[in-house]
Amino acid sequence: MKRLRPFSYFEPPNIKEAIRILAEQGSQARPLAGGTDLLVRMKRGEITPIALVNLKRISGLAQIKKESGKTISIGALTSISAIENSPLIRSSYPVLAEAAGVLGSRSIRNLGTLGGNIGRASPASDMAPALIVLQARVVMEGLHGMREVEIEKFFVGPGSTILSPGNLITSFFLTERAPHSAAVYLKLGRREGFDCALAGVAVLITRLAKKNEAREARVALAAVAPVPLRAKKTEQVLLSGTLDEDRIKEAARVAAEESSPISDMRASGSYRREMVRVLTFRAVSKALTLAERGDRGS
Amino acid sequence: MGPKNDVRYVGKPVSRLDGLEKVTGQAVYSVDIVVPGMLYGATLRSPLPHARIMEMDISEAGNVPGVRAVVTGRDFPFTFGTVIQDQPFLAMDKVRYVGEPVVAVAAETEAVAQEALEKIKVKYEELPAVFDPREAAARGAPVIHDDLEKYVRSDCEIIPGTNTCTLNAYSLGNVETGFRNSDEIFEDDFYIHAVAHSPMETHAAVAQYSPNSEEFIIWSSTDRPYRLARDFANGLSIPLSKVRFISNYSGGGFGGKGGMIAEAVAVALARFTRGRPVKVVFSREEELTASHTRHASFIRLKTGVKRDGTLMARRAEITWDNGAYAASGPSVAKRGALTVFGPYRTPHIELVSRLVYTNKETGGAYRGFGTTQVTWACEVQMDIIAGRIGVDPLEIRFRNGYREGDFYINGQTLHSVGFRETLERASREIGWGEKKAGKVGTKARGKGIAATIKGTNTPTDSSCFIKVDPDGSIALLSSSVEIGGGQKTVLAQIAADTIGVPLTSISVPNPDTNITPYDHAVASSRTTYHMGNAVRIAGQKVRKKILEMAGEVLKVDPGGLSLSEGKIVKEGAGEQITLKALLAKRFGAKGGGILEEGYFTPEGSRLLDALPGLKGMSSIFWMFAVHAVEVEVDTETGVVKVLKIVAAHDVGKAINPMGCEQQIEGAVIMGVSNTLFEEFKMEKGRILNDTLADYKLASILDIPEIIPILVESHHPEGPFGAKGIGEPAAAPTAPAIANAVFDAIGIRFKDLPITRERVLAALKKF
Amino acid sequence: MKVAIELEVNNESYKVEVEPWTTLLHLLREGLHLTGTKEGCGLGDCGTCIVLVDGVPVNSCLMLAVDAHGHRVTTIEGLAADGKLHPLQKSFIEKGAMQCGFCTPAMILSAKALLDKSPQASEQEIKRALAGVLCRCGSYQKIIEAVRAVTEGLENGA
Repeated sequence: MKRLRPFSYFEPPNIKEAIRILAEQGSQARPLAGGTDLLVRMKRGEITPIALVNLKRISGLAQIKKESGKTISIGALTSISAIENSPLIRSSYPVLAEAAGVLGSRSIRNLGTLGGNIGRASPASDMAPALIVLQARVVMEGLHGMREVEIEKFFVGPGSTILSPGNLITSFFLTERAPHSAAVYLKLGRREGFDCALAGVAVLITRLAKKNEAREARVALAAVAPVPLRAKKTEQVLLSGTLDEDRIKEAARVAAEESSPISDMRASGSYRREMVRVLTFRAVSKALTLAERGDRGS
Repeated sequence: MGPKNDVRYVGKPVSRLDGLEKVTGQAVYSVDIVVPGMLYGATLRSPLPHARIMEMDISEAGNVPGVRAVVTGRDFPFTFGTVIQDQPFLAMDKVRYVGEPVVAVAAETEAVAQEALEKIKVKYEELPAVFDPREAAARGAPVIHDDLEKYVRSDCEIIPGTNTCTLNAYSLGNVETGFRNSDEIFEDDFYIHAVAHSPMETHAAVAQYSPNSEEFIIWSSTDRPYRLARDFANGLSIPLSKVRFISNYSGGGFGGKGGMIAEAVAVALARFTRGRPVKVVFSREEELTASHTRHASFIRLKTGVKRDGTLMARRAEITWDNGAYAASGPSVAKRGALTVFGPYRTPHIELVSRLVYTNKETGGAYRGFGTTQVTWACEVQMDIIAGRIGVDPLEIRFRNGYREGDFYINGQTLHSVGFRETLERASREIGWGEKKAGKVGTKARGKGIAATIKGTNTPTDSSCFIKVDPDGSIALLSSSVEIGGGQKTVLAQIAADTIGVPLTSISVPNPDTNITPYDHAVASSRTTYHMGNAVRIAGQKVRKKILEMAGEVLKVDPGGLSLSEGKIVKEGAGEQITLKALLAKRFGAKGGGILEEGYFTPEGSRLLDALPGLKGMSSIFWMFAVHAVEVEVDTETGVVKVLKIVAAHDVGKAINPMGCEQQIEGAVIMGVSNTLFEEFKMEKGRILNDTLADYKLASILDIPEIIPILVESHHPEGPFGAKGIGEPAAAPTAPAIANAVFDAIGIRFKDLPITRERVLAALKKF
Repeated sequence: MKVAIELEVNNESYKVEVEPWTTLLHLLREGLHLTGTKEGCGLGDCGTCIVLVDGVPVNSCLMLAVDAHGHRVTTIEGLAADGKLHPLQKSFIEKGAMQCGFCTPAMILSAKALLDKSPQASEQEIKRALAGVLCRCGSYQKIIEAVRAVTEGLENGA
């Protein structure tokens, strides 16, 4: 039924080799992580790489580790399901586990990787908004050495990142969250069964102790802009005073305005925009409730 | 002939005969078939909805290493078609829909065949295309089939020189009089969209041609091997004896595997591969865009009622969107139109139905066979009427609903009418009339109900053989394909109880038209009734023969003997001998067996009597079903959550209650999926959402609680009183959901599908 | 061009040479003639290609065969031990949890993976575990019943 075209195949044993081969082969070669996106596009004839560089023989890229200074690192080849089920992630960054849990189906999550998902840079990535509100950092390696960048700066356009051929994501870093902080990811598709997001909203709120105000507010949107979008204006609204229903409604309205969704075969831009409004309201309300309770997230 | 049989299996939820094969991965489907020397086919398809083929260059493709045949419509200039022979195996002078097969390639591997397609160059001259059947039917529309009147066709009225390829009209009484005598008149327009069958097993077939004997063998998952063989033989103008269909398990059909789809390409290729078999497996994209769909249709209903909701007159105008080729469209249109008036007494009726070609994927048989579409219109309007005149939607259906002895629209007397009971039990189970819960936050709840009537294609024939081997094992040889509906199991249950043997002694091999005798098809919910009766007839003969044999061997009067669980029993004297021992005694070392035939047709039954000249509209049995639905609508997102569906079905007699539940639950889910999630997104005739990522089907997370209710009205001529189940089950779901949505949020949907975005737009939320 | 790999399929070791562009699905169906695993779409949308790799369900159409090197693969053919059906297989038959049967292998394997980790999985957990397998025949309700029957059986120590 669906056959892959022949390609040159490499199994580098370490990152250095992988980088060398990718740089050598140029843009017609692709790194292979989980394959859940790459192989689909190849089978559909959307891309025809002349070479695949399989990263999965490289050890040490699939771990979730506590680093020094209450930082956690997630290797680029960590599977989405490992993130979904990791006790560490669930206790420290539950929103990331929540997002992982709504990405595709279980069998897809067992194959797909965080590096693959972020590297693909789909505007509808379920993992990106959560990483954005968590202020994750992306670590990359190339011929010229290692580089680190805030996740927001990683995306350049739909399917496009700052990575050039011969460069790879190696890991993600998350720093400790503040107390009274909670984050939520809400997504709407065309059915309850798995679907790409028509609109996705991640919200992180850090409450001021004993006050219904936010010390920190971060909002990120999926599927409604050329890149996973940090909704800064929305954040400003959330930081501007008491978080009563009116302010949350205003924030939701601004979030809808900040988004620039396209109309495509999945949904119209106006429906997506309205869903940003609805989901932002719900996500903020839920995050507030959780922050109040002292939970860190669902 | 002897004391009455025990009924041990009929009526029991016996486990599927094919269950073991299916849970162990041993079941073989067409996609799994491997035959020695097999090649693989791939198809180059039209990128345009309507175009003339100007030039073709296949030379490079033929030179690709591993390619064994490249076939065009010029090499294989044949057409086929069940009612109108309008469809080329491979496009000849023009293409009529995006996805139409143009060139086929056979190669040593599937990959090579697919690669070779890219080397083929076709030049088209684009023609104006038409996608809306109403436009296509209008004067001046681009003509899709220039030679429509020249096509070989069986009974169906066309409008020559146009795109209208089936016209049906019927009236009873005088609708104008009826409208004049009505207190209220309603006129509403409805639209029901095309959907895909999308079985989990895509279309697949293996074809082999023997150049010396000029015979074809086709391995296929079709639900109608004999009829396909006939269509095929007619298409190639060869004797039927030169075509053999071997059936495998089917990975789902829902009507979609009744036509020549993958088979057409496989056969065209096999003709040129010097005896090597060719396997064609459709990709999911081909399955969604280049097989068959359900016919979309526009339905205008004008209905007159008395103040209390009694139906006086109804006029229906239906335009069916046929897509590019007729397939079984003419029958769908005709038989669907005849059920537009629903299971209700309406003294004055008039219907006009036309089937119109458009430049889109072919409409074909789809579960419900036209009844699904008309039920949508009829049942939503029943609620519109109920709402305006202030009668409860349940009450208006009771008031007008068919009862035993009422006449169908052709004067046929209706027997085995379980309609009232389906209404009663469905409405009771959903809690109809209970105080409605108020809106909770953004979520509103509502209940809705809808009913349907569906007949079966009448008359059709079924035959079977029952073979008893010397060791007492029994084979039921029939051409009823196991398409997932539990056909094998039901037939084996009937056989076991009719003959008087353990179910475990019966096997039901897969059909092979060289061996298993004629059957019309597994379609139209006909198998339990027709093949079941054929099995009963053969089974009675087998039983009789066994008892006569026992009489001879035991030297007693066979009239005092009976057969139960494989043991011959003498009245008042207990078990005498087992079947196995009897056969051993009778045949001895030289061996032997028993073979009996069963043939059944409902033709000639008095149940079909109708008004003069209108017997053709009678059905040997009528099925009734009511779906009662509870939904919860999120008024901020448009999400419609179906909480519960109670589906009450009058099946006559449930030969296998578990099998009936499977079909009901399955059809309900298909109905939910069709109604809420499925839609073809089109752009200039091209289907954009050609994968399951974007053509959304209901997953396990999308299902409601389903409560199937079996109503048994006992058909006088059905095997053990049985009628049928599979077809009607999908029809009432859509209108029941729509009616429930209205109850929840006051929005009346007359067009499908009811997607989240459409709900929100209707609520004017954006 | 071919890569030599070693893998265990249904407790049997195989040494094969595959082209790197061969998926695990095609290796199983065409190389090893285990046709119980199906190709319903080839794109990861339908789940009928699901097999267990080291006990974990994956879409074999999206996994290269070379990535199965050194791993244990379980297909539906590997479930019945010595002719004795797995409790899930028995339950599927008893509860009538299949109609055309095309999705059945993937459903059973997905359920097995779940129950191996959570023998007392709730209905919601069962649904989430099986959400990636599409059943057009609509056997979902009976499939849930069949899996629950096994969880209840396990609860009772059956």
